[in-house]
Amino acid sequence: MNKTLLIISREYLTRIKKKSFIIMTILGPLLMAALIVVPLYIVHKSEKETHVLVVDDNDYFLNKFTDTKKVFFSYLSGDINDLKKKCISGEYDAVLHILGGIQSNRSNLYYHKEPSLSLRGTIEEQMNKIIFDKSLIDSFNIAPPLFATLKERSQTHIVALQIDEHGNEQKSFTEINRIIGIVAGFLIYFFIFMFASQVLRSVLEEKTNRIVEVLIASVRPIQLMLGKIIGVALVGLTQFALWIVLTIGILGAIQLSTPDFFQLGETTEFVSNIDNQAQLTPADNSIALQKTNILNEINNFYSFSFSTFIIAFFFFFLMGYLLYSTLFAAVGSAVDNETDSQQFLMPVTIPLLLTIILIMPMAEDPNGALAWWFSMIPLTSPIAMLIRIPSGVPLWELLTSMGLLVLFFFFCAWIAAKIYRTGILMYGQKITYRDLFKWIKY
Amino acid sequence: MHQNVIREKEKKRRKIVELIRINNIYKSFSNHQALEDVSFSISKGVILGLLGPNGAGKTTLIRILNQIIFPDSGEILFNNKPLHRKHIEDIGYLPEERGLYKKMKVGEQAIYLARLKGLSEHEAIQRLKYWFKKFEIESWWNRKVEELSKGMQQKVQFIVTVIHQPGLLIFDEPFSGFDPINTEILKQEILTLKENGATIILSTHNMASVEEICDEIVLLNRSKKILEGKLVDIKQHFKKHLFSIEFAGTSSDFLNSLPENYKILSQQENYNSISLTVQITPPSQPNDLLNFFIPNTQILSFQEVLPSMNEIFIETVTS
Repeated sequence: MNKTLLIISREYLTRIKKKSFIIMTILGPLLMAALIVVPLYIVHKSEKETHVLVVDDNDYFLNKFTDTKKVFFSYLSGDINDLKKKCISGEYDAVLHILGGIQSNRSNLYYHKEPSLSLRGTIEEQMNKIIFDKSLIDSFNIAPPLFATLKERSQTHIVALQIDEHGNEQKSFTEINRIIGIVAGFLIYFFIFMFASQVLRSVLEEKTNRIVEVLIASVRPIQLMLGKIIGVALVGLTQFALWIVLTIGILGAIQLSTPDFFQLGETTEFVSNIDNQAQLTPADNSIALQKTNILNEINNFYSFSFSTFIIAFFFFFLMGYLLYSTLFAAVGSAVDNETDSQQFLMPVTIPLLLTIILIMPMAEDPNGALAWWFSMIPLTSPIAMLIRIPSGVPLWELLTSMGLLVLFFFFCAWIAAKIYRTGILMYGQKITYRDLFKWIKY
Repeated sequence: MHQNVIREKEKKRRKIVELIRINNIYKSFSNHQALEDVSFSISKGVILGLLGPNGAGKTTLIRILNQIIFPDSGEILFNNKPLHRKHIEDIGYLPEERGLYKKMKVGEQAIYLARLKGLSEHEAIQRLKYWFKKFEIESWWNRKVEELSKGMQQKVQFIVTVIHQPGLLIFDEPFSGFDPINTEILKQEILTLKENGATIILSTHNMASVEEICDEIVLLNRSKKILEGKLVDIKQHFKKHLFSIEFAGTSSDFLNSLPENYKILSQQENYNSISLTVQITPPSQPNDLLNFFIPNTQILSFQEVLPSMNEIFIETVTS
């Protein structure tokens, strides 16, 4: 068996057997599932139907309220002191007492158990509309049927359309693009830091354990370094795969146990919204036709190719990790303990930190000079390019950025290997930048 | 002509038994010369003591032999062929700075290190079982290294150094961290390895063990080789013509008539005998000294005192 493979398998196996790996692997999907499930659960909880009894002393609001998905209105007239007891018996969740009729600017809402937060808002909004419409009709003497027609005509939708270099139109969701870019950027940043630090600690461990000289009497230093970097990369990919599978598993289990859980009012509304828009722009009615194909649906939902994004995400994660882990390995080999590593890590991590600090301005203007340059410079491109991709990046820019990253990685790996092979044999010395340059030249 | 042929034959004969030939090695680091024109050879089946004060270049030379670093100039022949990557599997190296993965299990780790030396997993387990039994540490197979005492860790390190049965073994300070009992066990193991045909380089500051087990010596000082040869030859070369004599009785008056070319360096009176250390100035011979004593007293013991390696070391390094 090839010795590099032997090193890779040791690095891989000892890591995935660690308690911390197992805990992370279980906690990750639970956290992710919780991030999806908890908000839905809260929505579900607040989605409980609310029955409101409207008591209008002047009967003006009789049958004027519109039922929503959650709130249902009933009307009764009588003594409010008797009727308001109906919310104690549970017959109604709340009793709305409108005191002053159409001129009223004050009403009372009686309840026994606290209703959802949005209920008061819903009622206020509806009442305001009713009063405002009434005032309009009265002031301008508009016939009610005409008023209804006018109202319907004045409903408007805004459809954002992005035009690419070939003149094709695509619906664009700038906000979503921005959020996806930012989330992807943060994820890459987090993973690069997490796994590159593991490489640093591992190099340092072998050095402080004094096992490194035993090892490099058997294998070349570069084999040891690469074996470690590849082993940790495989651990990262395994963790990703497990996270994805387990998250889908958990969500699938929830779906099976409560089939309606993901059938959300808002989501359906959103999808039907897209359908409406598709009908509004006949040039692009593919959405409705291809609804059966999930990937296509996702692709069409986002204004960019989802598969390109996924491929780019893995590419930039992997290359970004490789680039930083070689530099981290070099730093780990040059120092004697983790505290000393800080001074050499600083210049290495500054590009990464800078990109994260500037993530908002870049997301605001994904095609501006700042984002453009950062997405080309190898040390920052793994994050910056991911921010830009959802807003559309010309293929040549993407390929150039990828190419530069790969070239720069080889350059850094060459330098790191030179520092590494000397550094691992240096014990108990305070290493300066001058020493590092000597090792590179040497 | 005839002599030339003999010389060639002699050369060939010597070459066959030579395992390592080091020719004019130079190595410098950024701020100092670590090795300067170092040449010597190591014959098969001997234990060579590589000695020298701290910073003399021993570890640099050992690392060059292990191809961890490379010389600036000069060449090294292994079995008459230039030292090559493939020779790594025929070398076992116990570095001075050595350790193990603390969190890994002993057996698992030993298998890993043995496989890095080119053994198959099956072979590694077989041989490790044998060695673990020999050192009586079988019960530690499934324990983590951090639970082991330092001496036990050293045993494990020794085992993984020799497990692939290399032709050349390099031990850098092998006895550090061992108690006297284990030091003795280790010495015996090293001698057994030699009997089984291994060539051994022993780098240590423990001069007593050098005298006990080394056949040959190479002494480095300030990056240069300053002494080389068989241990017995070196001792002869550095001898001070000292002899110790013990004779019966408590009277030493006759010593007043000792001729001038014998100098008494020390005198010790025992219960009913006297011990002396006498230096003889050549061309006087030990027999002449005995001839002086025999008529005067009863000799209990007479022995030449050869310099210890410790003395030779200090003398050559400080001169």
